[in-house]
Amino acid sequence: MSLWPVAAVTFKEGIRNKAIYGISVFALLMLGASLLISGMIMQEVGKVMVDMALSTVSLSGLLLVLFVGINLMAKDLDKRTIYMVLSRPISRSQYLFGKFLGMVLLIVATIALVSLFALAAIALTKLRFPDYFLHFSWGLIFLSIALTTLSLILLSALSFLFASVTSTSFITLVLTIISYLIGHGINDVKALVEAPQAVGIQVAPSTVKLVQGAYYLFPNLSLFDIKIQAAHGLSVPLSTIGWTVAYGLGYTAMVMILASLIFSKREFP
Amino acid sequence: MRRIVPIVLLCALLPLHVATLRNAGREWKALPQGEETAYTIPGPVLKLTSLEFDGVAADFMFLRALVFYGSTFERTEKPRVKEWEWRRLYNDLAAATDLDPYFLDPYYFAQANLTWEGNLVRETNLLLEKGSQYRDWDWMLPFYTGFNHFYFLKENDQASVYLMEASRRPGATPLIASLATRLALKGKRTENAIFFLREMLRREEDEEVKKTYRIRLEALSGILALERAVELFREQFGYLPTSLDSLVEAGLISKIPIDPYGGKFFISYDGSIGTTSDLR
Repeated sequence: MSLWPVAAVTFKEGIRNKAIYGISVFALLMLGASLLISGMIMQEVGKVMVDMALSTVSLSGLLLVLFVGINLMAKDLDKRTIYMVLSRPISRSQYLFGKFLGMVLLIVATIALVSLFALAAIALTKLRFPDYFLHFSWGLIFLSIALTTLSLILLSALSFLFASVTSTSFITLVLTIISYLIGHGINDVKALVEAPQAVGIQVAPSTVKLVQGAYYLFPNLSLFDIKIQAAHGLSVPLSTIGWTVAYGLGYTAMVMILASLIFSKREFP
Repeated sequence: MRRIVPIVLLCALLPLHVATLRNAGREWKALPQGEETAYTIPGPVLKLTSLEFDGVAADFMFLRALVFYGSTFERTEKPRVKEWEWRRLYNDLAAATDLDPYFLDPYYFAQANLTWEGNLVRETNLLLEKGSQYRDWDWMLPFYTGFNHFYFLKENDQASVYLMEASRRPGATPLIASLATRLALKGKRTENAIFFLREMLRREEDEEVKKTYRIRLEALSGILALERAVELFREQFGYLPTSLDSLVEAGLISKIPIDPYGGKFFISYDGSIGTTSDLR
């Protein structure tokens, strides 16, 4: 397998990126703030703490994908260093999948690190206010982090697709951010246009079709978000997790195959 | 030498920067300001724009309400919180519970403040019903709704419906069910209110809220004692007492209880007990 060398180089390059330090400092500050804020809550200290911790993990991952991940691939194209790589005995799709594998490793490593801080912050608060953690489950918290990781991998795959189509990393960044925004809104928008009477608005039938089309085109990132359930210790059925994981893996695979098809045919100036 | 010029320039600009910022800031403060803090972005819009961070957004909406409410305690004017400000608090809490309908604190805060002080009883009940729908394991929310119907809105039938609902949920004391049936009995308002408050006090952990409950309990106990004395007086003499002093003179009570809200108790023309403070 010639994927591993590329993956290892990508991972090392990512780890050396200064943005990682920034993200870690950000995560620590957020968690520090959450320790302060949880002291202001009257009843559901546990809920607020878990909210803050899981959101910190999510946001750190998002920053990683947007500001480190995109550069890993796009820099090779921007700075033309890709010629050096492609002159070696390695196919273009091997290069692409190797890069992606390295990025997946980087996401997992960063999330693991930030989660460690986050879990420590939760445990600390739980020690301080044990009575306010009535509906609490470590299992759900781990599950939520795992699903967040999967959604970040999906988003990163999309950024690889955009990088293989576009010419500059800036356009890739913009497209990835737009996909993220649509991905988190599409669930609510679909629910809205399918039942507009609930809020008393009129929706044209063509709009409904358009949104339903977009629903299948764009990733539905809301599915991976079980932060509220984790915060309240509400049960999440195993079948829900199963279908979500299958959807995430399937979508990622499709996006990466499409990316490699486009990337193999791409002509470099 | 070449370096000195930019450094001198920088040093000269620094006081200018401070001065301009101060003046501009002062001018800006003097501009006519709308009541923009009164505006809360509606829940559904927040839900859509907060992406995957709706839980944290709910926390912040709640904190916004909490911080604002806390800041009113520094005021000296009366009423301390204006009517539109209560609305604003209600909107914040409604938005917080749109973002995360399972979040207990906004409901709890609304019950503790919007009803007693803010007079937004129907609105609070709307919130509580939303919470009760989602937190279907929690007997407190229908219990509070029932209390509001009974105490503020004087709708005993509605109150007993909610109390019945509360009594079916796990952890509810069996007393609630008996209270629900007792509400059907007319004329026991004060006793029932004391009963409700004792239960709320027993469940409460926040010292501030406990204090307000205790004061109210004290007032209601005074009213109850007076009501009983009036009843005895009527049985003994065949007519209603004209003043509270006649109760003392008849030896039915040793002294007139003190209204902890600073008012004075009195007897209305129909023999019911009122207070000049109106219990607030």
